[in-house]
Amino acid sequence: MRGNTGAEPQGKDVPVNCRELFERLSEFVDGELSQEICEEIRKHMEGCDPCVNFAKTLKSTADLCRRLPSQTMPPEVAGELHMLLSKHLRQSR
Amino acid sequence: MCNENEQDLILASQSGDLAALDALVRRHQGRVYGFAMRMCRNVEDAKDILQETFLGMVRSIREFRQESKFTTWLYRIASNACLKKHRRGVFDPTPEQELSLDALMPRPDSDGRRPEIADWSEDAERALLNGELTGRMEAAIDKLPREYKIVLLLRDVEGFSAEETAEMLKLSVPAVKSRLHRARVFVRKELADYFQEKQAERA
Repeated sequence: MRGNTGAEPQGKDVPVNCRELFERLSEFVDGELSQEICEEIRKHMEGCDPCVNFAKTLKSTADLCRRLPSQTMPPEVAGELHMLLSKHLRQSR
Repeated sequence: MCNENEQDLILASQSGDLAALDALVRRHQGRVYGFAMRMCRNVEDAKDILQETFLGMVRSIREFRQESKFTTWLYRIASNACLKKHRRGVFDPTPEQELSLDALMPRPDSDGRRPEIADWSEDAERALLNGELTGRMEAAIDKLPREYKIVLLLRDVEGFSAEETAEMLKLSVPAVKSRLHRARVFVRKELADYFQEKQAERA
């Protein structure tokens, strides 16, 4: 994946629009782009395995975040919270 | 009371029903605590954020106009509490810093050949059941600068939309999308390193 940022060395067989796609891959995997842009991206990906794999693993990263186990709240933290709120409510009556 | 519809609990809380208010707090306290813990990684600070969030909720529940979802409103209070605590410097493992996409983008090798990008998405599914991967992910999220971390937590961990996240953090939707993308690319790189290490161990 290498783009047309100018400062980078020009290599052989490197699509010029990897950089542009790279910027929009989260929107792509989240389904937030227009059909027209998605079509353009898919066309590019037909010839660019690095972009395909990057998109797959980026999507996987977002999916893994959504499935992280929830944190357990210690009972004493809940107890302190409710004592504080009760005190506040008593004082504000 | 806990099985009541949230809308009813909110209306009753706004009319001064303390049992409804208590049920509303209990319904959301675990999730807010989890978010605070991931933001600050320390029980004492998470406890402060939790208390500040629900004190804020109790004080201003009458002002909640239902123009946004209740959770969006509540997380706005929680996000402010987290960022305020960060600004005070009480916990600050990650100073403010810009994540550059150019720096995060895989590069071609010195001969200009395309970078090798392994597809570990199927391995990730299998490794999800493995506590080690969870630990690596939490560590990767922890390394994010705070303004990226909070966006990733709200969008990808808590599941809020870009619009809701923008509302909570008083950012534009494009700014949320830009920070989320950089944060994901950063975490993806950490996971890619993890799967590369695993592959090397197997070889």
